Amino acid sequence: MSPIRSRRARTALATLAALAALALAPATSAQQVVDRWRPNPPASSYGQRFDDLFLLITVLIGVSFAIVLVLLIVPVVRDRARPGHKASFDHGSSLHDKRFTAVVSVTVFIVLDAWVLVVAMKDLREGYWNMPRPDTPDVLRVEVLAQQWSWNFRTPGSDGELGTPDDVLSINQLTVPQDRPVALNVTSKDVIHSLFVPDMRVKRDANPGAINVAWFQPIKAGDFQILCAELCGYAHYQMHGKLHVLPAAQYDAWEQEASAIALAEHDPNDAEARWAWDFKE
Amino acid sequence: MSGDQIHPVPTGFLRRHVFSTDHKVIARQFMWVGFLGLFLGGVMAMMIRWQLAHPGEPFPLLGMLFWPSSGGAIPPDAYNTLFTMHGTIMIFVGLTPLLIGAWGNFCIPLMIGARDMIFPTLNMLSFWTLFLGVGVAVYSLFVPLGAAEGGWTAYPTLSSNIGTPGDGETLWAISIFLIGASSIMGGINYITTIVRLRAPGMTWGRLPLTVWGLFFTSVLNVLFLPVIGSAMILMVLDRVFGTSFYIPATMAQGGGGDPILYQHLFWIFGHPEVYILILPAWGIVGDLLSFFSRKPAFGYRVTVGALAAVTILSAVVYGHHMFTTGLTAMLGESFMLLTFIISVPGEILFFNWLHTLWRGDLRLTSAMLFSMGVIFVFGLGGLTGIYLATISTDIYLHDTYFVVGHFHLTMAASSLFGAFAGCYFWYPKLYGRMLDERLGKLHFWATFLPLTFVFCAMFFSGYGGMPRRYFDHTDNPYTNELQWINELTSTAAFILGAAQLLFVVNVLKTIRSGAKAPQNPWEVGTLEWTAASPPPHHNFDTIPVVLTGPHEFSNPAIRGGKDWIYQTEPLSG
Repeated sequence: MSPIRSRRARTALATLAALAALALAPATSAQQVVDRWRPNPPASSYGQRFDDLFLLITVLIGVSFAIVLVLLIVPVVRDRARPGHKASFDHGSSLHDKRFTAVVSVTVFIVLDAWVLVVAMKDLREGYWNMPRPDTPDVLRVEVLAQQWSWNFRTPGSDGELGTPDDVLSINQLTVPQDRPVALNVTSKDVIHSLFVPDMRVKRDANPGAINVAWFQPIKAGDFQILCAELCGYAHYQMHGKLHVLPAAQYDAWEQEASAIALAEHDPNDAEARWAWDFKE
Repeated sequence: MSGDQIHPVPTGFLRRHVFSTDHKVIARQFMWVGFLGLFLGGVMAMMIRWQLAHPGEPFPLLGMLFWPSSGGAIPPDAYNTLFTMHGTIMIFVGLTPLLIGAWGNFCIPLMIGARDMIFPTLNMLSFWTLFLGVGVAVYSLFVPLGAAEGGWTAYPTLSSNIGTPGDGETLWAISIFLIGASSIMGGINYITTIVRLRAPGMTWGRLPLTVWGLFFTSVLNVLFLPVIGSAMILMVLDRVFGTSFYIPATMAQGGGGDPILYQHLFWIFGHPEVYILILPAWGIVGDLLSFFSRKPAFGYRVTVGALAAVTILSAVVYGHHMFTTGLTAMLGESFMLLTFIISVPGEILFFNWLHTLWRGDLRLTSAMLFSMGVIFVFGLGGLTGIYLATISTDIYLHDTYFVVGHFHLTMAASSLFGAFAGCYFWYPKLYGRMLDERLGKLHFWATFLPLTFVFCAMFFSGYGGMPRRYFDHTDNPYTNELQWINELTSTAAFILGAAQLLFVVNVLKTIRSGAKAPQNPWEVGTLEWTAASPPPHHNFDTIPVVLTGPHEFSNPAIRGGKDWIYQTEPLSG
């Protein structure tokens, strides 16, 4: 081993060690716990599809990148310039080479791209794009009006109709039943926002002047984080809320109570509180 | 033709060094603007990372200077300005001038055997238009009611008066327009020069890959910068003259426009822009891997075909930036399919690069290390693009740190590594002095390792559900759980930032006491190395006659114990 090469190796090792030490120092000194490095388990009916496809892609690209690394590292170790060593001469322009390239490309496209594409299309059709239709039973329809910097939610209340005095309005808090599809109509008052419920694996932009649709079906009860994912100005980071998923019976009780309060407090002259729009399919 | 010059050697200082029409001088001007941009954007990145790891704590040293009213801590609006201008400056003031302005200007005439660009005055105008644009961008940081805060994508209606009332956002749009105009001038010049001024014998099949990369980039520049230019004009009209191209009728100020129109215009430009930045780097890497492996570039024609395919396909995939915007299912699926198709030429490029290295005689110079670094970081970034091209995974990952990690590895780190590779490779020809190789290699490792850590860590925080462009992730319990990743990322980012001082030291040392560069220090055969280091004003005493391709390394037909020949030498000689 030549002195240059060992010096090079030493430099690389020292850098690596320094980096590792520096990177770990604040973590250990602050005695931090690794809270979480991945999403919580999915809480929506199609959420598992995301997790499964994510894993599939990770495996596929992991293998691909490993191959790239091997092909990168082997020449570095084996074909390093040294006295008496010569490079092979190959333009890679023969018909054989071109065929080889074509075969590799097609293989990669089928194994990596087409596979993921097929799974994704299936997932979309059965999941995210399988939106509740007008005749789907038991749908909870929610109107979401985003504004700088809060979420306004409107649910139909006990009469099941949006735009009536018993609609339940809330800010930054959305209560929905478990195991029923929740259809969202999303828009915005001012700038573009994006409704993001990570645990439900759902996200949809709230565009001013247009109504966007999304849906999810909660499969577990509990409280889940609502975030804004699209930059919306000064307090973008503070525009978060809570999604409360209640078991069916509990939800019905909650809805009745909330609807009664809404009805009692309904003020037909309060224009601000009467935002609503016709549900569009 | 011998001794003829496109224009005479200027005598006055201003004409020689400031308002020069010499492509080599303009290349140097672009290079320094590019490094200034990288420095400014880099400092902003450090401030962003500081805020993310230590929300609300005063920024060390500079904090009291910029934000005395908050005790040196970065306020939320200033934070929004920081990431807006970080992106804008890095792309338009850092990487574009460095890769396309500097290496494009320097390499194209020298590599094709020309005395200068075909339109030298347009070339000068291109630089000074950029300079004006940069001036406007920097000035916009200091105007009343604040600088641009709409993100580098500047989606209306946040970038309309409703969201950002200050003059900063208007000036931002004007500056993008000016820099775009500069790129269009450069693109026209590059394309025409490559088509018209190739030396005798420099057939399209003998062009170095660097020139091919710059050629395709110029095509994209000329086609798509006008689109962003028009988007910026509409934005300025909306902001200053009260029109409502982007403002919907539902709003008090509205008149029937559509904010989504802007997203289409922006991404019709914005996606090709990614390739505008990466194609020159790919070209440089394609050449350098061959030069330092002492092997011909594997599958030259296939590589050029793949670059062309990427150029064409780059125009039809932009919708993958808008999967959550509300594209119809059919449109979304079409863009998803097209995006998957663009991975095929990308994969062919990788295949050819790795094949070029295989059984070569690898000289691991700094330029070579950075070129191989491109394979690594673009490999990581490109493969993780699959998550984002797939609608069903993108819906969750969109606008999280996953995207930030992905595009920094592909667009930012890969073009940066390509620019550095070019810098270590051509600096001797540009200034006639060698950069220090030991410092260069140290610079590579001290950049490569923390950079990989920083952007891979972002994959984890993004996968964990952390949205981007948040001032403070500890504000809600969900992203607070991921704050530990932010802290690690920032530490690595500070190391990455500090490591760039190695490059500054290297350049300063070279200016003071660098070894004089021989005419051809790297023993490669492309035409720029037949000229002196640095080349004279007219580049070549006689216009060279090209007899061979750029990559005839280790050809058994080469005599005399060398493993290379100049492109002007015959193979059987």
